[in-house]
Amino acid sequence: MNRELLPEELDLQIEELMGARPGLLSGPNPLLGIAAELCLLPSEDFKHRLKADLFEPAEAIETKERKSINGSREFQPATLDAMASLTPKEFSIMPADPRSFLLSFASHAAVVVLIASGIWVGGHHTIVQPRTLSSELSYVPMPVGDNPPRGGGSGGDRSTIPASRGTPPKFSEEQLTPPAIIVRNPSPKLPVDATVLGPPQLKLPQSNQIGDILSSNAVIPSNGAGARGGFGDNSGTGAGNGLGAGAGAGRNGGCCTGVFRPGLGVSAPRAIYDPDPEYSDEARKAKYQGRVVLSIIVDPSGRPKNIYVARSLGMGLDEKAIEAVQKWKFSPGMKDGYPVAVQVNVEVNFRLY
Amino acid sequence: MEILERDCSERLLIEAAQNEPARFAELYEQNFDRVYAFLARRVPSREEAQDLTAEVFHQALASIRNFKWQGAPFISWLYGIAANVLASHWQKVGKCALEQPTDFSYAGDGIERSIMLGQLVRSLSQDQRLVVVRRFVDQKSIREIAQELGRSEGAIKQLQLRALEKLREKVGKKL
Repeated sequence: MNRELLPEELDLQIEELMGARPGLLSGPNPLLGIAAELCLLPSEDFKHRLKADLFEPAEAIETKERKSINGSREFQPATLDAMASLTPKEFSIMPADPRSFLLSFASHAAVVVLIASGIWVGGHHTIVQPRTLSSELSYVPMPVGDNPPRGGGSGGDRSTIPASRGTPPKFSEEQLTPPAIIVRNPSPKLPVDATVLGPPQLKLPQSNQIGDILSSNAVIPSNGAGARGGFGDNSGTGAGNGLGAGAGAGRNGGCCTGVFRPGLGVSAPRAIYDPDPEYSDEARKAKYQGRVVLSIIVDPSGRPKNIYVARSLGMGLDEKAIEAVQKWKFSPGMKDGYPVAVQVNVEVNFRLY
Repeated sequence: MEILERDCSERLLIEAAQNEPARFAELYEQNFDRVYAFLARRVPSREEAQDLTAEVFHQALASIRNFKWQGAPFISWLYGIAANVLASHWQKVGKCALEQPTDFSYAGDGIERSIMLGQLVRSLSQDQRLVVVRRFVDQKSIREIAQELGRSEGAIKQLQLRALEKLREKVGKKL
């Protein structure tokens, strides 16, 4: 073979060789066999790179991804096949029951909701304590009540015996029949229940026996020493020791219309229904705490009225306190056995936990 | 007597590697060429052969503590790992079982020839060695090599021819 042509021909054959699988090539030209063997040699620095890769710190060896020693192909990084999932592909590798996932998800969600709600409640629960209705604990000390009663009534038939003990009849706007312990006309042509003059919503303690609640005569029925019907020791068609058609120690109808303060025979009202006030958003955000003092009058029916702020706290808490106290119900303060309007201070504490 | 000394030396190396994994480097140096050649003759590309070789040595290093000397040379243990790695590789790529070599215990003259050829390349002149590496290992064209070395394509082809002739001559002498 021409020495000039040999390199060209050999290179063409080598080109063909490289296009096929080198290890499987064989042919008459022994140089091609050598070339095929050379094509199988590793990259020049492969051995060194692999060595460096192998003898990294032992910890790294176990956890590292098997990076490719050659640049063109890489080992696939560790897959997450071992991690169960809902995808069908993973089912075939690692069976996983979707119900387990749903159950797990639901239980985790429930735990999260419980924790979140606990945090919310713990952080925003309104604590109102203590609510104090007595003047002793009021922020603004209140003087002992000395107002004269402005409602009341009396009556009688000039008996020498004091009126019998009992409870006054119901109140009505218009009195048709005066109350009487001893009824002089037991068969009236038009029977009408006896009432005393006063607001119908005013409820006084009731019993089976009509009479004067403060009387010492608990035995002998009597209408008392008063006059003009009714019963009692004064004049009128009402009940008690006042004057007029009402009940109690006052005059001109009604009952117990004076506003008292606790003390000197006047008992303090007692809250029987006292829902907690809400916290205002503004105060909650500012984590504002404190005490609001409200001045209220608990009327004889046990309802609060004339509410005003004696000590302000601000940030909407005053309004929230008023809003709540308006819903409260009280057992009214009592004077001489009759419910009376009593002015008290209510202390409302706002605390965030 | 020589085999006995070699076995004794290898056994000491294995024990050292079992106690201290860093000593595995000496075993790696001694056995790399054979493992690579074993794999390179059984897969279609250099890249696959290199990947599998790396896998074999990673597994060997990870399990060297479990190795028990039973009289067989250490390379046999490595061939066993290589055979398993190959089997997994073929299973992964879906290769037909009929195409797989079944006699993994056979190392054969081909491996020794490949190892020797690698050593002979280093004995070539610098120009010839560079052309051989660029042409057969890096799989570059004559034109690319000519541009890189600043020589004509004809000159590169001549260098390629002479290098191959020289290698054939040396291989012939060795075998």
